[in-house]
Amino acid sequence: MLELPDDHRAILDTVRRFCRERLEPRVRAFENGDEPLEPFFRELSESLGLREVADALVDGTASPFEGVSPLVLTGFVMHELSRCCPGVALSFGATTGLFGGAVMACGTPDQKRTWGRRALSLDAVGAWALTEPGAGSDAFGAMRTRARGVDGGFVLRGTKTFITNAPTCDVALVQARVEGASDGKIAGFIIPTEARGFTRGRPFDKLGMQASPTGEIFLEDVFVPNEMVLGGLGADGLPHDARFAIRASLGAERMGMIPMLLAMVERCLEEATTYAKGRVQFGAPIASFQLVQEKLARIHTTKMLLEVLFLRQIEAIACGRLGAISRAEASAQKLFAAKAAVDAAMDAIQILGGAGYMRGSVVEMMARDAKLFQIGGGTDDMQILTIARELLRQQ
Amino acid sequence: MKILVPLKRVADPDNANKVKVTAGKLDTTGMQWKPNPFDEYAVETALRLTENGASTKVRLGEVIVLTVGPKEAETQLRGALATGADRAIRIDATDDDLDGDVVARAIRAVVEKEKPDLILVGKQAVDGDSNQVGQLLAEYLGWPQATFAGTIKSEGDTALLVGREVDGGTLTLRVTLPAVVSVDLRIVAPTSVSSKHSPTHTYADGVRFAALMAIMAAKKKPMVEFKLSELVSDAAAKIAYTTHELPPPRKAGIKVKDVAELVDKLRNEARVV
Repeated sequence: MLELPDDHRAILDTVRRFCRERLEPRVRAFENGDEPLEPFFRELSESLGLREVADALVDGTASPFEGVSPLVLTGFVMHELSRCCPGVALSFGATTGLFGGAVMACGTPDQKRTWGRRALSLDAVGAWALTEPGAGSDAFGAMRTRARGVDGGFVLRGTKTFITNAPTCDVALVQARVEGASDGKIAGFIIPTEARGFTRGRPFDKLGMQASPTGEIFLEDVFVPNEMVLGGLGADGLPHDARFAIRASLGAERMGMIPMLLAMVERCLEEATTYAKGRVQFGAPIASFQLVQEKLARIHTTKMLLEVLFLRQIEAIACGRLGAISRAEASAQKLFAAKAAVDAAMDAIQILGGAGYMRGSVVEMMARDAKLFQIGGGTDDMQILTIARELLRQQ
Repeated sequence: MKILVPLKRVADPDNANKVKVTAGKLDTTGMQWKPNPFDEYAVETALRLTENGASTKVRLGEVIVLTVGPKEAETQLRGALATGADRAIRIDATDDDLDGDVVARAIRAVVEKEKPDLILVGKQAVDGDSNQVGQLLAEYLGWPQATFAGTIKSEGDTALLVGREVDGGTLTLRVTLPAVVSVDLRIVAPTSVSSKHSPTHTYADGVRFAALMAIMAAKKKPMVEFKLSELVSDAAAKIAYTTHELPPPRKAGIKVKDVAELVDKLRNEARVV
């Protein structure tokens, strides 16, 4: 993909080699649940030196990557993991991006040093818990998980569901409504999973992203000390309102999906092209038939468009203008890329025919996995509302 | 210990089908390059010989990587610096002007400046498969050599015990330093290299990955450039390529109607039975 400067290229190539050698052979085992992800993440961390990266980011020592932002770096890792297995990338992203990113953005210095470091270096598996059985798109309005202030901390009660990494995480950032706050304030609570009253369900069986465990979290009067409230307490002795931070996390998650979807489309194009050139019917490779060419050309066009979106992110990061990418744009990028990737993967299956429909084919996995992006991190429908709302406010 | 590792960039074998020949010459435009895998094994060997096993950050010797080639070949040198080599030397030259002999003489000139204790080379480059530079270099320097090393055990700083892969088994040679050793694939197996600092360390199989931060740090490691003519008075290559051509395309297969026809064709047309 992409014409990149040498240093970016070197990083991307290193991650790609790691994924080819260490991830590709294990994809089926991860998809089937025969092998846990944690040993793979430890290998990833050790081989690529993620602990050093985490230390540099947490201790704020000089920018660890002059010229290459950690955000771009994460994008590259997500891209390369997704080329092989999007589910692995999803779990990686939940730990380092959603959990780790939130702690690094809003956490107290102690929280960054402990939980930020552990998440960014993959020493701990993190989860980020917002959705509830009755609170999906209306996550804030319908949230029923409550945090009741007690001596020295808070007691949490409620249920979270569809949470990536819930079945395997070591720590979760749980969003809960603060009782007694008149404005419906929501706060984030860092809860190690050994906390008393914290339990979780079995991993859900689902359409795609099978390498990534998803599940429920049950909180039955879980005590969370004040120092584990994300960002600590304000001058008024109450937690900070996390609603802005949650929206920021969702925006970052949506942007982070672009390199994943780009990689998935790239892989679909490679698989479909190789197959079309080799598969002979009616005495000729099917790539010579225009109806097949039409699909290949469309997948290629999708790939180019997603590249443009990713490059736009890289450029914004390089210019220090990431903040200038609005919430509506993050939504628009995700809205477009998710649908485009589903279509591309379906076209790729169509080209491979029966061979593409079989469990275990790469395009079959990509198609199932791509569908998640129209739902997770905010459904397509909610993205449209966000885009329209911002658009109409500006006009 | 000071180790010099010559490293060649080669056209990526995964993209070999994209090689074009224009008017009898190889057309390298748009070619993807990567380090010769055997040279990567040599770099890995040099790193293993100069660390204590516990930390890849503590280097108990110096590893210098060297290439003979154009400016773009610095990418491959930077890659080696990212995995742990200390500094790099590029001898500026165009690929067309080189053969194994010129390269060996250029490296000899660098050896005379740098005075390394050991030169580790890949047994051959996967493009030309010439398998010459290590041997020529040892001859020009008058140093002992051991080729096709599958194992290396260091005996202090004075000698190496080299297990060479030969037909029918392993031949073990003791070479006194300074020496030239060319390495084969199995040198990167987990326990193939036994250094004086960590005689029993078990490594991850294969060539290590560059730590992501080390890739950026590698940009700051020293890289010096020489002109080929500064090092070699007579830089003329002894091997001249008169032309290049691609292998002929494979002919389409045929279907035979029975075993008798197959045997007949194998015997009388292919003449293989």
